[in-house]
Amino acid sequence: MNELLKELYQEIILDHGKEPRNFGECEIHNKSAHGHNPLCGDKVSLTLFVDDDDIIKDIKFSGEGCAISVASASLMTEKLKGKKLSFAEDMFKDFTDLVKGSEESLSIIDEDDSLYALKGVKDFPMRVKCATLAWHTFKNALKE
Amino acid sequence: MNKDKTLHKDIRKDFPILSKKILKTKDLVYFDTAASAQKPQVVIDELNQFYESHYSNVSRGVHTLSVESTLRYEDARKKVQNFINAKSENEIIFTKSATESINLVAQTFYDKYMSAGDEIILSLMEHHSNLIPWYFLRDKYGVVIKFANITESGEIDVNHFESLITPKTKIAALTHLSNVYGSKIDEKVSSICKRNNVAILLDGCQSAAHLKIDVQKLECDFFVFSGHKTYGPSGIGVLYGKENLLNEMPPYQGGGGMIGEVTTNKVSFAELPAKYEAGTPAIAEAHGLGIAIDYMNNIGIENIINHEEELTKYAYEKISELDFVKIYGDGDNRNSIISFNIENIHSHEVSSFLDVEGIAVRAGHHCCQPLMKHLGVNSTSRLSFGMYNTIEEVDIFINALIKCKEFFIK
Repeated sequence: MNELLKELYQEIILDHGKEPRNFGECEIHNKSAHGHNPLCGDKVSLTLFVDDDDIIKDIKFSGEGCAISVASASLMTEKLKGKKLSFAEDMFKDFTDLVKGSEESLSIIDEDDSLYALKGVKDFPMRVKCATLAWHTFKNALKE
Repeated sequence: MNKDKTLHKDIRKDFPILSKKILKTKDLVYFDTAASAQKPQVVIDELNQFYESHYSNVSRGVHTLSVESTLRYEDARKKVQNFINAKSENEIIFTKSATESINLVAQTFYDKYMSAGDEIILSLMEHHSNLIPWYFLRDKYGVVIKFANITESGEIDVNHFESLITPKTKIAALTHLSNVYGSKIDEKVSSICKRNNVAILLDGCQSAAHLKIDVQKLECDFFVFSGHKTYGPSGIGVLYGKENLLNEMPPYQGGGGMIGEVTTNKVSFAELPAKYEAGTPAIAEAHGLGIAIDYMNNIGIENIINHEEELTKYAYEKISELDFVKIYGDGDNRNSIISFNIENIHSHEVSSFLDVEGIAVRAGHHCCQPLMKHLGVNSTSRLSFGMYNTIEEVDIFINALIKCKEFFIK
């Protein structure tokens, strides 16, 4: 099997793609956004509950898309739940650098991080948007 | 079949890109001609030659290069005229794309013949380029858009189409050959339009390089196609319109080249076809399109059609044998295009997988979101053939599909 494909579709990606975590809508939420990749039609809806201390107490997503976009959204919700917004912003930057191949500029994500599994996207430039859709939607939710 | 294959091997040598290796090791299998066709060497060479030896602006000035450019530009128009059997070269307008051609018709046809409350008929399987220009009219001027249904087999439901026509219906804009199903429009549709005094625009983007086009037999009022899908350059499109309509409709854009006389307070317009060609056109690209048409004519449109029919039939049968693949539409009315999904695998995954095998297919909504909704899917994969594809490539594709399914569904 081709190494690039193995790298792109690691077990954790296929797992989260098939059985996404935090799928649905937060019962109570104070931030939300819809994301859409007009090039391919993939969609994601994100709801969040952020408390007064800027902690993401709850985060869920729904939508439809390819394994990369669903797995990325799923991993993102796992990663951000319970974290401060400022951390999430840093993570956003790190993650986009990772999938675009700027590994040297990472400050938080390391090889042991679950998000590191999406590194293989860098060899498929047309799939970067799949991987970042949920993250951009997250950014938009904060703008509300 | 053997003869066809021999002819065909020679053809492959004409397209330099086909010898490219994907990821340095895999032979390119280009199954995305419906998105854009590859270019034969002669088109590439002629573009260079044009810029090296003949280039200047057209229809302006009298020096040698201006003449040489103008002759080639107008010669390309004649080639297009013959290619689609238009009555007059005045009926051939060069645009930047088929999309621009449709926008041109939508705007100027409305200006001349329509007002608020008038009706337009489209179908559910139109490309966005044959939807949005009409949506603009709806949103700006209050015209009404009706959608003809699509049958299970992927064709316009002719009875439903006819039932949509009212005295207020002014124009129908429909795909000549669906970019998702590969289905050709029923010829009855044109005659129904004619009988009811409804103008018809056919979107020929997918048909121009894959069917014999005769706009007079098609009985259409407008026919559009793009250069890049007919083995020519990008940046050039064609609008065919019946001369009387093009004469009656107002100009689309204002600028150089489309004028008769200009004073400080008024302007008269040029005769056809210049009336619709404001600004410096895509000169070299028009010439390139003319060369691509020559190339197709040399191969023989009938030979191309026969070859692609054989490929399509073979691929359809082979894919149908795979129980994990769903094909959209049926096999009877199908020309060079097959859209499909592998159960439980998103088209992106299929496309990325095939890509590393060297196979280029389209994944996504194919600029047909209303149709995707109608099909109840988010996206599909699509293979589409050009004259240069082979049966062997279809076999490579089938094997790759099986491997793809095994990779994702363990």
